[in-house]
Amino acid sequence: MKKYTKKILSMTATGLVAASFCNLRPARLAGQDQRTITDSLSRTLTVPAKVGRVLSLQSEITRLIVALGAADNLVGIDYFLRTNDRLFRIVYPDQARLPLTSMADYNVNMETLTRLNPDIIFGAPEDRQVCESLQAKIKIPVIALASTGRFDRLLEELKLLGDILNRKERAAELAAYFKEIIAGIQNIVLEEPGAKKPRVYLTFYGALNRTPVFYEPVNAAGGINLAQNLAPASLGVDKTVVDVEQIIKWNPDFILIHGNYPPRERIVTVENVLRDPRLAAVAAVKNKKVFYTFGFWNWWDMGQVLVESLYLAKLFYPDKFAGVQIDKEGNKIFKKIYGIDSLYSSLCKFLRCDEWTHE
Amino acid sequence: MNGRMNNRRRQGLGVLIYFLPLLVFLLSLLIGTVRIPVKDLLKTLASPLFPSLKQSLPANALIIIFSVRIPRLLLGLAVGASLSVSGASLQALFKNPLVNEFILGISSGAAFGASLSLVFLGRSFPPQISAFVFAIAAMVIVLAIGRKSDSPTIALLLTGVIVSAFFSALLSLIEFFASPYALQALFYWLMGNLWRASWGDLAVSLPLMAAGILILILMRWRMNVLSMTDEEAKTLGINIRKEKLLVILMTAGITAAATAVAGIIGWVGLIIPHLVRMMVGVDNRKVIPMSAALGASFLMIADNITRSIASFEVPVGIFTSLIGIPFFIVLLKRSKKVWL
Amino acid sequence: MSVLVQNLTFRYRHFALRVEHLEFESARMTSIVGPNGAGKTTFLKCLTAILPVAKGSLFIDGRDIGVMREDERARLLAYVPQEHSSIFNYTVLDFILMGRAAYLPMFSTPSVKDVEIAQEALDFVALGRYAAQPYFQLSSGERRLVLIARALAQKSDILVLDEPTSFLDPKHETEILELAKKLAAEKQKTVLVTLHNLDMAVKYSDAMVFMKQGQVVASGRPDDILDEALLERVYEIKMSIIPYDGRKFIVK
Repeated sequence: MKKYTKKILSMTATGLVAASFCNLRPARLAGQDQRTITDSLSRTLTVPAKVGRVLSLQSEITRLIVALGAADNLVGIDYFLRTNDRLFRIVYPDQARLPLTSMADYNVNMETLTRLNPDIIFGAPEDRQVCESLQAKIKIPVIALASTGRFDRLLEELKLLGDILNRKERAAELAAYFKEIIAGIQNIVLEEPGAKKPRVYLTFYGALNRTPVFYEPVNAAGGINLAQNLAPASLGVDKTVVDVEQIIKWNPDFILIHGNYPPRERIVTVENVLRDPRLAAVAAVKNKKVFYTFGFWNWWDMGQVLVESLYLAKLFYPDKFAGVQIDKEGNKIFKKIYGIDSLYSSLCKFLRCDEWTHE
Repeated sequence: MNGRMNNRRRQGLGVLIYFLPLLVFLLSLLIGTVRIPVKDLLKTLASPLFPSLKQSLPANALIIIFSVRIPRLLLGLAVGASLSVSGASLQALFKNPLVNEFILGISSGAAFGASLSLVFLGRSFPPQISAFVFAIAAMVIVLAIGRKSDSPTIALLLTGVIVSAFFSALLSLIEFFASPYALQALFYWLMGNLWRASWGDLAVSLPLMAAGILILILMRWRMNVLSMTDEEAKTLGINIRKEKLLVILMTAGITAAATAVAGIIGWVGLIIPHLVRMMVGVDNRKVIPMSAALGASFLMIADNITRSIASFEVPVGIFTSLIGIPFFIVLLKRSKKVWL
Repeated sequence: MSVLVQNLTFRYRHFALRVEHLEFESARMTSIVGPNGAGKTTFLKCLTAILPVAKGSLFIDGRDIGVMREDERARLLAYVPQEHSSIFNYTVLDFILMGRAAYLPMFSTPSVKDVEIAQEALDFVALGRYAAQPYFQLSSGERRLVLIARALAQKSDILVLDEPTSFLDPKHETEILELAKKLAAEKQKTVLVTLHNLDMAVKYSDAMVFMKQGQVVASGRPDDILDEALLERVYEIKMSIIPYDGRKFIVK
């Protein structure tokens, strides 16, 4: 009996060890119909080289897909784009027909997901748990991607999407356009290399002391984001909390307030920043250089980012951009990206962004 | 700690505790991102009386001291004292060491009120006012339902739990429908911190908290008697309904005021009174005022730490739990006798 | 100070207390005896207004207890519960000090005089040296004495004690009853005691009240009312009364 038991045990052990080897992700199997991706959560994933059905839980990705003209590949729409993003409704009205795949708390309906049978899923890196549990359950690659405030990452997403959705040319076209606009801005703002750049403090996320550690439009427009090198940046988190005294110490030239809310919902407003007694001695407040800017809107909309960079450039260097009309340029940018007229004007109706620089 | 200290040490400790808030306040004025040395601090503090000093002050010193640090420290002092005194009073009233200042539904009511304001009502109805109104509303509901029973003490506790749960459920419902940005704002608001402190908030909340704390301190000996069974308290000559109601109203008032301006800061009202009892015994003539003093100091110190520990700021409510609980466990183990 | 009970009724769900007429005189110790469930404790709780009573049923020196404020009442009548349980371990003196509550307004703390009175009360029960001890460190007999001291600090002329000798050994039992007797005889207080021990009740009481099923069966001096027929009626078992050594003993 003992010998028999021993045999069983050793066979089971061998079997278990073999099985564990099978669970290792065969990243090396990247061949012609597969590619390897490293996502924003530093996970390495294998995805098919070409996909047909895409489920995007990440609004930024969805917007890029629509910009690429690959909206037909979308099998569903996330809660934010359906309910809170007024711009997207105009950009892609057919989104109303798409099934809703996530709820307000980012929870996904597993049955819907399985029924929709996507080839690939894009998730938001801030919902790490959702991504990982989803991947474990559903065995479809879940890629967590977001620009986190950086242009290079936005462009990488664009290229990736262009590759796997067979829109390489359009992706390249958009990428080139993007770089062209930014380069155009940079050429003007960097005309005098030794000149002093405006020092900017961004207040995002509904509280005065919360700020993003990286927000490239500010850099592109020739400004300095004062929170840029603070500690959490190294932990991969996109925002941090600062002490009010730190803001006073920095003495920013500009304070920019997250404006991607309907005006009624804004907690931090230009008025209450200008009236805050603690900030009375800060240069931005003394010189009334407190303005709204767009900021994130469940990450970025490509067109909005470009307009914002231009808007900020004009804010920081009004003389150099005196002839530029933001609404005109804005409409042009959106037309190029989405092929729809007067999109920027529609956005401004909603966010009242045309009132942002009233003197 | 061997349960009871001898009288001399106890008296010395008592005196020290009463001076602690002032000491901590003054020292904390030196702490902050902007460095202000002692000499400059003294000049800044004296400058309202001697305006000529203003010239020689470093840039921003006046604003930092009078608009940033003093309001923040005052808020920490008032909130710490309020929460501790509330916890101590309610522990005596309910004869239960596990009772904290939020049991009558205060924190859930405040959270709900804040969420209502931040998500739906907009800026016309600021979260502080909304939080206060609903915190008091929660208490009123608890009192209305719980007082009718034969054993009001237990009924009140249970009703408090139920009303808290009700408001929490409403809060979840609001969170579900909130846009992600309102949600974030709400989340940060609730976390309990002192950085929002402004003279505007203080002008309204400070007198409220001060008045409530004063009344509770005046009733400190009475709480010894109220901590007896209802039967005994009655036969000892106390109108328990009136006096218990007064205590409850005062504790709810100051807790609601504190929570409305500082968010939800937990554990202070539970831990500080027990710490005080460990040091000086259970006589409420000492426990109530010392809880106020120790609670005020504790919260100011906690806030100092969270401000200076890193470039980012940990909300003080998280900090009080992280530090308070293990500290309490250590003390629990070291004291050989139960201190109650 | 005399206590007059007139047409006192109180109803629980399955129990009714009815006392038509009783008088308790000052400088006397009266014991209230009877089987379990006779209503002794209920009666005490009505007397001390722990249970709400109708106006016109209880009078102290002609004044209606039902319309008095608590502090007024507490200055006239003090209650010693059977036991005290709480979670807070006050010192003995702090504990007794609570007896001064009836004399202090809501926002005051006890004065030096109040502390003196409390210490006096503690001395009277011969536990003066325990003033700084935590209450729960005392033995149960000592705790009872402290409860009595607290009632004494109330400086009331009427003292009501609920089963003060339960769970005590004979020595402490005697001590407490001697004390109660002393309070009646020397301090002229009106003392009411509920007792289980008939022998002790007979020995120490100036007057006895026998209760059964919520009603008074007999009341008066022990010599006057005590007989075997009464005992059998009240307790429903045969008992014998045996005189010995100048006292009466009850044997079941």
